[in-house]
Amino acid sequence: MPEVQTLAGFWDELRHADGAPRPAAEELVRQLSGLSLAELRARQALAELDIVTMGITFTVYSQGNGVDRAWPFDVIPRVIAAEEWRRVEQGLVQRLRALNAFIDDLYNDQRVIAAGVFPAELLKESANYRPECRGVRPRFGVWAHVCGSDLVRDRDGTLYVLEDNLRVPSGVSYMLENRAITKRAFADLFARQSILPVDACTDELKRVLTSLASPEAAEPTVVVLTPGIYNSAYFEHSYLAQRMGAALVEGADLMVGEDDCVYMRTIGGPAKVDVIYRRVDDSFLDPEVFRPDSQLGVAGLMRAWRSGNVAIANAPGAGVADDKVVYAWAPELIRFYLGEEPLLANVPTYRCVYPDERRYVLDHLRELVMKPANESGGHGLVVGDCASRSELDECAARIEAEPRNWVAQPILSLSVAPTLTGRGIESRHVDLRPFVLSGAGHYVTAGGLTRVALREGSLVVNSSQGGGSKDTWVVE
Amino acid sequence: MSLLLSRAAERLYWAARYLERAEDTARLVRAYTEVIVDLPTTVTTSWAPLLAVVGGEQAFSAAHGRSDAGERRVIQFLLAEDSNPGSVAHCVRFARDNLRTTREVLPREAWQVVNDLFLYVSAEAGAGAARSARSRFCDRVVGEVQHLDGILSSTWSRDEAYELWRLGEALERADMTTRVLGVRAASLLAARSGAEHGDHAEVQWMGVLRSLSALQMYQRATRAPIESAEVVRFLLSHRAFPRSVAYCVARLRASLGALPHVERTLPALEELEALVAAVADAGRGDADGVALDADMDRIQLRLHALDATVADAFFAVGAAGPR
Repeated sequence: MPEVQTLAGFWDELRHADGAPRPAAEELVRQLSGLSLAELRARQALAELDIVTMGITFTVYSQGNGVDRAWPFDVIPRVIAAEEWRRVEQGLVQRLRALNAFIDDLYNDQRVIAAGVFPAELLKESANYRPECRGVRPRFGVWAHVCGSDLVRDRDGTLYVLEDNLRVPSGVSYMLENRAITKRAFADLFARQSILPVDACTDELKRVLTSLASPEAAEPTVVVLTPGIYNSAYFEHSYLAQRMGAALVEGADLMVGEDDCVYMRTIGGPAKVDVIYRRVDDSFLDPEVFRPDSQLGVAGLMRAWRSGNVAIANAPGAGVADDKVVYAWAPELIRFYLGEEPLLANVPTYRCVYPDERRYVLDHLRELVMKPANESGGHGLVVGDCASRSELDECAARIEAEPRNWVAQPILSLSVAPTLTGRGIESRHVDLRPFVLSGAGHYVTAGGLTRVALREGSLVVNSSQGGGSKDTWVVE
Repeated sequence: MSLLLSRAAERLYWAARYLERAEDTARLVRAYTEVIVDLPTTVTTSWAPLLAVVGGEQAFSAAHGRSDAGERRVIQFLLAEDSNPGSVAHCVRFARDNLRTTREVLPREAWQVVNDLFLYVSAEAGAGAARSARSRFCDRVVGEVQHLDGILSSTWSRDEAYELWRLGEALERADMTTRVLGVRAASLLAARSGAEHGDHAEVQWMGVLRSLSALQMYQRATRAPIESAEVVRFLLSHRAFPRSVAYCVARLRASLGALPHVERTLPALEELEALVAAVADAGRGDADGVALDADMDRIQLRLHALDATVADAFFAVGAAGPR
């Protein structure tokens, strides 16, 4: 392979420390060795052309204007051994079973609080807990039908769950498109080895969504509810709707009738909707109940949902478990609801709501990553060894002011993968977002979206802040 | 029960109308320019009739005050000016905006073509006003809309979305044909007795046919010299020709028949059909141009009424989109 600039001390996803390829990556490394840098760049260029032609975009906002950017993609895939992946799958399914049981419990009997496992005051101050959801029992006891759990690998090779995104997680469409593009860039490799397919994901999603409809609906109508063209993930909403053969709707296309059922406005008249895969945040979902100024939701939707006339995925209120503070309790939740030990590790997490843990954090700011509970997209993070003195002081002040809102974790040495840069092939930090679908059963995508921090030395992988992505291969 | 969203339906219908309008305007500008070029320079020519055809006189004087309708300004107005809702640039932009949010309903390649056209027009419309670049610009606009039509015809299932598209397209096309007949033909007829244009009548009538891409088919159908009554009859009633009013009305009937709420849309359609038949029977080719112009106005009003009926039947349930 063209000379690869490696980073000592970090786990390389494709190679051992001595440069020898990991078993699952042997074929890929062999193929890359046979390519000159120019040839590799040519494949990258073709991939980028594919992206522009296929219109794979995401939208970045600055100064009120949205710009559709081509999806930033690196053509060198990231590889995971199938054997390791099977263990990860089991761990993720276990985690989602516990998280869903937790959400269902919080909105009903609250046994977990009565048992003293989860502090009541955390619930009181939780921004995503929706009292309007009390007493609701969605089918199968599942509230988070789609969850994107971010995984990271530390220096010693251990995979950790970094966070669970189960409000409106995005990335499935980009994962599927990454595979489509990579199949064209490295077609021969797909013939020579067994790389698990990812295409079934949208069929599985459709199956899960359809299963949520009430049994009376002979052929349930499933729709994808999007905030519209100005949302940064609009491409994905449209893509998923198309792949599932579901209608892509906006709030204004729906209405709730006097019968508390949801209808779409079609040219033939109102058509009943059975399941809504919603990509609109809770607070904008229903102006009758949440933000009254919302133009994105449907007045009366909560009424319809509570009476069981329409199923919503992910359910309103599921976000209570999408919280960096709740995250810290995940191992205990697995034990409480399932009576099992966690198969997948949590990153050791200090909870500032507890005085002793808060003290530790304030004394060790430089060695930790401080995270505010409810921000997404990597915003608000303070990375101790990169921040300035004044940034750290400001962070300490915010922790003292709102301790419940903050957790901290050791700075992980995120694993790296070879990535094509201006200078050649260099190591860049990566994470992984597999998607877990929960309904009557569970389904985990084979791999998921690998996100890569394209800037040298950066740990920030989010596309809105300079990140890119790679295809992920689970190899037998 | 239909599953085409009212909002999507409205956007498709209007995208089709805007693209037809853009294509027809480009064709009109191209043909008119050719006529003017063919006439001897001793003949005084006016560009005002072009504005009259597209009904842009008011908008033009709003934009340019009392300045005279010189060639450059009129062409610029019709091709590039964004303040003119009928300009090619404006129409293509609106069509593209409409399609941006209804992509999943159309064949995928369709969006690519419209988006590319939008990028081209955005970049070139201003320069396209100059005579040297004009026909290339107009050719491109017409060609790309026809390219789109090819994609739609060969890969779009004949579902409700498709029928709504053809509905909007047919309505807009009928409207344009009546405008050309109403203004151009009427003014030619009215001036027929005058010596000034008499010698060049044939050239001008050819221009009328060319502005609707009808010359070749006219010649095949009539095998007669180009003559006013025949041209009017051809453009109004020759059902086989796809830009005639009669053909468009038949297309409207076919599309409405394939859509829901037929009982609501049929009456307006039948009134339109009756009027077109009556006007054809009256045989305006020989009569004075004023009556022809008035007849065309009446047909346009019926088209407008049909448009309102369509909006009421299909779009009213939903939210408004760009119009």
